[in-house]
Amino acid sequence: MDRDLRAPPNVDRRSLLRAMAASLALASAAGKQARADERALPYVNAPEFVVPGKPKWYATAVGFAGYAHPVLGKTYVGRPVKLEGNADHPATGGATDVFMQAALLGLYDPARSQAPRLLGRTATWAAFDAAVTKRRLMLDERQGDGFRLLTGAVTSPTLLRQISDLLRRWPKARWHVHETLGDTHRMQAAQQVFGRPLEPHLHLDKANVVVSLDDDFLGPGPHQAVQGRRWSQRRLARQQEQGDSNLFIAEPSLTATGSMADHRLTAAPVRIGLLAAAIARALGVGPSNNDALSASETAWIGRAVEAINANRGSALVTAGRSQSAEIHAVTFLINERLSAFGNTLGFTDPVVSAPGSGSSVGDLIEDMTAGHVSTLVMLAVNPAYATPTKLGFRQALEKVEFALHAGLHADETAGLCHWHVPLQHDLESWTDGRSVDGTVCLTQPLIRPFYNVRSLHALLDSWSAGTRSDHDLVRASWRDAWGKDFEDKWRDTLVRGFVTDSAPAAVTPSVANHDISIKVSAATGLTVDIRPDPSIWDGRFANNAWLQETPKPISKATWGNVLLISPRLAARRKISPGDELRLEVNGRRIVGAAWIAPGQDDETVTLTLGYGADRAGPLPHGLGYNAFALCSDPDSWTITGATLAPTGNHDVVASTQLNQEMDGFDFVRSVDAPDAAVKKHPETASFYPERHWDSPSWGMSIDLDLCTGCNACVVACMAENNVPVVGKELIEQGREMHWLRIDHYFEGEADELESSFQPVPCMHCEQAPCEMGCPVNAAVHSHDGLNLQVYNRCVGTRTCASYCPYKVRRFNWFEYTGNDPEQLRAMRNPDVTVRSRGVMEKCTYCVQRISAARIASQIAGRPIRDGDVVTACQQACPTQAIVFGDVTDPKSAVSRRKASRRDYNLLEEANTRPRTTYLARIRPGERPS
Amino acid sequence: MAEPGPGEGLFGMLAEFDQPDRLLDAVDRAHGAGFRQIEAYSPFPIDGLAERLGFKDRRVPLFTLAGGILGAAVGYGMQVYTNYAFPIDIGNRPLVANPAFMLITFELTVLFAVLFAIGSMLALNHLPRLHHPLFDLDDFHLASSNKFFLLVFGNDPLFDEGQTRSFLESLAPVRVSTVEHTEIPE
Amino acid sequence: MTDVAPTPHGYAAVTDQIVDIAIDYPDRRAWWICFGVALLLLLSFFVSVTVLFSYGVGVWGNNIPVAWGLAISNYIWFLGIGHAGTLISAMLLLLEQHWRNSLNRFAEAMTLFAVICAGLYPIVHLGRPWLFYWIAPYPNTMTVWPQFRSPLTWDFFAVLTYLTVSILFWYIGIVPDVASARDRAKKRRAQVFFGLAALGWRGAAHHWARWRQAYRVTAAIAVPLVVSVHSEVSLLFAAGPIPGWTSTVFPPYFVLGAAFSGFAVVSMIAIVLRHALGLQNLVTPRHLDLLAKLLLATGLMTAYGYWSEVFDTLYAGEHQEMGTLLDRLGGVYAWSYWGAVVANFIPLQLLWFRRVRTQPLLLFLISLSVTIGMWFERYMLLVTTLYRDYLVSSWREYHPSFWDWSLFAGMLGVFLTLFLLFVRFLPIISSFEVKEALFEEKGNKKEQAHG
Repeated sequence: MDRDLRAPPNVDRRSLLRAMAASLALASAAGKQARADERALPYVNAPEFVVPGKPKWYATAVGFAGYAHPVLGKTYVGRPVKLEGNADHPATGGATDVFMQAALLGLYDPARSQAPRLLGRTATWAAFDAAVTKRRLMLDERQGDGFRLLTGAVTSPTLLRQISDLLRRWPKARWHVHETLGDTHRMQAAQQVFGRPLEPHLHLDKANVVVSLDDDFLGPGPHQAVQGRRWSQRRLARQQEQGDSNLFIAEPSLTATGSMADHRLTAAPVRIGLLAAAIARALGVGPSNNDALSASETAWIGRAVEAINANRGSALVTAGRSQSAEIHAVTFLINERLSAFGNTLGFTDPVVSAPGSGSSVGDLIEDMTAGHVSTLVMLAVNPAYATPTKLGFRQALEKVEFALHAGLHADETAGLCHWHVPLQHDLESWTDGRSVDGTVCLTQPLIRPFYNVRSLHALLDSWSAGTRSDHDLVRASWRDAWGKDFEDKWRDTLVRGFVTDSAPAAVTPSVANHDISIKVSAATGLTVDIRPDPSIWDGRFANNAWLQETPKPISKATWGNVLLISPRLAARRKISPGDELRLEVNGRRIVGAAWIAPGQDDETVTLTLGYGADRAGPLPHGLGYNAFALCSDPDSWTITGATLAPTGNHDVVASTQLNQEMDGFDFVRSVDAPDAAVKKHPETASFYPERHWDSPSWGMSIDLDLCTGCNACVVACMAENNVPVVGKELIEQGREMHWLRIDHYFEGEADELESSFQPVPCMHCEQAPCEMGCPVNAAVHSHDGLNLQVYNRCVGTRTCASYCPYKVRRFNWFEYTGNDPEQLRAMRNPDVTVRSRGVMEKCTYCVQRISAARIASQIAGRPIRDGDVVTACQQACPTQAIVFGDVTDPKSAVSRRKASRRDYNLLEEANTRPRTTYLARIRPGERPS
Repeated sequence: MAEPGPGEGLFGMLAEFDQPDRLLDAVDRAHGAGFRQIEAYSPFPIDGLAERLGFKDRRVPLFTLAGGILGAAVGYGMQVYTNYAFPIDIGNRPLVANPAFMLITFELTVLFAVLFAIGSMLALNHLPRLHHPLFDLDDFHLASSNKFFLLVFGNDPLFDEGQTRSFLESLAPVRVSTVEHTEIPE
Repeated sequence: MTDVAPTPHGYAAVTDQIVDIAIDYPDRRAWWICFGVALLLLLSFFVSVTVLFSYGVGVWGNNIPVAWGLAISNYIWFLGIGHAGTLISAMLLLLEQHWRNSLNRFAEAMTLFAVICAGLYPIVHLGRPWLFYWIAPYPNTMTVWPQFRSPLTWDFFAVLTYLTVSILFWYIGIVPDVASARDRAKKRRAQVFFGLAALGWRGAAHHWARWRQAYRVTAAIAVPLVVSVHSEVSLLFAAGPIPGWTSTVFPPYFVLGAAFSGFAVVSMIAIVLRHALGLQNLVTPRHLDLLAKLLLATGLMTAYGYWSEVFDTLYAGEHQEMGTLLDRLGGVYAWSYWGAVVANFIPLQLLWFRRVRTQPLLLFLISLSVTIGMWFERYMLLVTTLYRDYLVSSWREYHPSFWDWSLFAGMLGVFLTLFLLFVRFLPIISSFEVKEALFEEKGNKKEQAHG
């Protein structure tokens, strides 16, 4: 009751968002944001003047973990409103992920740092430049001795050129790289095995059999979109019965990859090494150490090896980020034995350029502590938070005379530095970078910077006495590369978004070192298994409200991280979800809320990074725990010997799905062969007249065999449809606004566990109960088969929601949009009504895109073609799980899908005749009872 | 039965009784004596009293019936008309969904019937009428408590101040009093 | 029927006793205390509504899936209570049960005020309450009409009709008594008030004749109306596709439940009034006995509704429906189910004994327990169905917030305030009908004597 009394005043966390919008910043924002950068080139064609209401598309890219993710930016009169994948890109082919979808909000984020700061107080760029010049002259004298540059992973040719120029100018200066959750061990393994740095590329599209040793290759990360797309191509092939797509995984905690696996083994982190060794042995690779394996482990290995032997040349063994270099090395050896090189496993020279040995953040901290560092420049990194607390970066920083932090936010590091300067967001900058396959993408701004910010390139340039703009710097680096036909090439590239054939050539390396042995340490006590957060990665997206509100794929928790423990451990320790736990490992401890995760290893506690930051800003303030507090080595994510104890307190975990047990229902159905027919309920009789539908009449098909629950569609939907963010408190009360949600269900236990995802948008029922319930004709049916919600007609009786069997309707319990800051208003999609308090809303099948296509087709005087309408979720999906189109046209993609024998209606018994139907999951072989 | 307007001599002659049975006899005898412009007043409805005064009015039930029919027509008509005036596909239900329409049709039937019943009752009774010559008589306020009255109107053909009084006296009333017109204020 | 005959013989005595309460209220202190409480509750109503309107429905505990909450279950509860008055009054009038004359007036008033409270709920529960009139059919610039297939539209018409008819039925019933109050009133203000309200009624034989025609025909129409209204309310649930709601037993189930709860409240009011105002001679033990019998009968019928609901589900054996049933019996909200069963039917069984039926205190307590039990039932039917419907993924509990409860308290305030004003200023028992009964009874006696 106490809480309810307080309810009205702090109705949601978004009120903080509002508070954050400083009126001064707004004035400048309002003034500037409507100006496009005229040097940027529109994607399709370049009209001489902007036509209001007519969007312009630009090909550009957003960076994540050093890699560039190619995107097409949709802008209205100079305001970017939506990012979509670039279908022409050789690797992504239009695939997207949550981070790329949410980059748009990152641009408009009112919490972004908006002016330089000296010792926390706002300063001017002039003062900053003066300080830099003074510093530079001093450094010039000692050849840059004591100057250190700290960046994240770098693939940008321009940035690399600038850095090498700088190091040439100052031989004694040094460059350090710290990328949280980078692929360090895999690279080390390549070095060990091949004697030279190589970057492996998983060609999952070619792999009939994949054996993953705790490698969540479908999970969050810079490779997610590309690997998801490749994997789905294989799955699609299996659906056509062209080859297999047999996925084995051994993992301590259920992941997206584990959910899609055909054979999943729950294994403690320490067992992974043994499994790797055992597989190697079974395939005649590596030393024969014989450790006792459990029956289930032996069975799993048996099946895996059998499958591999049946598919040599099209099999792939891969290990995950948290596995040691040795384990990765062994997988390389196995893959070599399987002649996977060049087939399922490709190699190129590293896409991410590293400065070489002795350049880790650890080395930097040592030097700082030793006092060798006088000047520290940190570009877009946050080591004060995102490094193991034990390394003592904060203390070491005190020994540095001149510390400069440049970033999007005034974060922990900024707070400890002398200078903090705000950086431009990728979407307002000129830069370049390589996508995960190595193809170079050019990043052009969708909008002029509307804060008082500076480009990373320009900033670095000022250290070598330069004053060039990011535009000039990027052009400069490509002018050298392309020579005389530069201008044309530049133009083409901007239009296309990437440099054709710029990916490094594939190499087939020869193994230099065959004797790799895996050291297996026995675990004592509980093992801590630390993973990136599926929504905010290592915390760099903590200020992104869309990502904060995106449910984690498995736990469905939002606005915070939880400690995942197995049901058995929970039962043994009498822990229930939400109980606050103290996790302690050699003296260091964190406190967080428990979440019971089926498929979790009994002796393993899984944590995610990114929360519990102290200066993270108002949005993430006070959320979750900081897992970095437990780490000791920036690259090892498994810690043994932990102890767990309930504190007695209880937290509410803001989960959007409290029940994930399918409970004997058949919401998610599966078949045991691609051509098998799914079990259906008999169609019940209807009193209503059969209606004839004219073409086009819209429908959707969602393939549960392909959905990896990555949430890209969810965020894309929020961006496309101006879906409001409601914050933790309201999610706890069950008031999330997502028009498209992804339900996660599991059946069975431990190794028998079957986990599946089910995206649930509005079903657009032909016999919709919601329409019948509405007294004011606000829920009505359209001529082209849409279930419409007429906002301005809705009075909010909520009958439609009560009658909706799928509970896809969302209600504006409070005024969610009226008080948005200027930036968020600028971000809105002008084609979609912004809903006010007291009205019901829901998925519209992106009706605005349907209208656009209809108008276009009428102008062109032709019917709407299949593929003219692509919904936001469909476009975002990396695995092509969602297909949309005209169901009255038997040749349309969606009709062909619905013709499949796997096609079924959710809740046939409700007799609603949904237009959104599902394709059953394929689970080959006999299903565990 | 029209009450006498002002300027037609007396309004009437009123006899007061303390028993309902006496009133009933009085009414019979007055009616027998040929008085037609007479009215009886009682604190509660007495079976057959009005009939003895020659009351044969069945209009209230008829109005009620008419109201009911009108209500049904309006209710059903409204729903059919509006659905044709702005046809919308509602969950693939038929445009004219008779089972669904019956409920509101019934409600409006009831509503109109009752409004007509009570409306016609008041109208035919010439109510509300906040003032009436009878209210000037002090005793008459007992008409709502425990006294019973017989009134012979001044416009009765047989009415004659003297004779009517003596006739009423013969009915063994508590008292007989003449009812003046209320003088209309200038 | 002799023992129904009110003891004060002579019509004047009846008038004095009843009408004087309105003209010169006896125990003012007690009344003021009750009224003070009522006003406090009324204040809570205004505060809650202000908060509700300024922040939105979000201040309540509702969520998705439980988009409807306390507001709607209370709406049904109040409306149910509002069924007894008209039912008792109209049905017994047609059956010529004269003992009704001692009860019908305040029973009808109770109905009126309960329906007003019920009618307020659906309006304040709207997301945009200021647009509630869009449910009414009127020519508008949007050229959009209401959607007449929606149970909500049906309810709108049903409640509106029911309210209008109840008011008119009650008012023409009270006019003759208001007239006697007018004739007895000493104070000028009272004279003006009653004078206007009495419409100039003077008890003319012709007036009585037409009055009877209208009164009886209205009563005849009111009975099916009462039945239709709560049937339509039940369709609010039954017309939807949600397991636990889609059931054909709902309409009778709801109507009987409504009468059940209504009779309970009537009994409570009768008992309180006869004690507070010394009406033991008008509301006799015989009346209590008859009320108790009605209560018992409707209670048993409601119990049958419970049973048949369980039976249907078991008989059909449909997975979803079974789930809902089992959850009602043993789930998070089992307290509401068993609360309803126990409070409704266990104490009720005492009414098989005449001694209990005529014992005011016991009858009062039993009626109270029924009133609470029926509240449990409405809550159970609504929440247990919505919080776990088809998709497991959407299951979520519902907990009313502080503002839910404060509004409920406020609604009780609205009811009490109106009812206390009625008790204070209007004849709470139909004096002329009591007198009529007296007269006709004498007639009977005479006939017996002669025959």
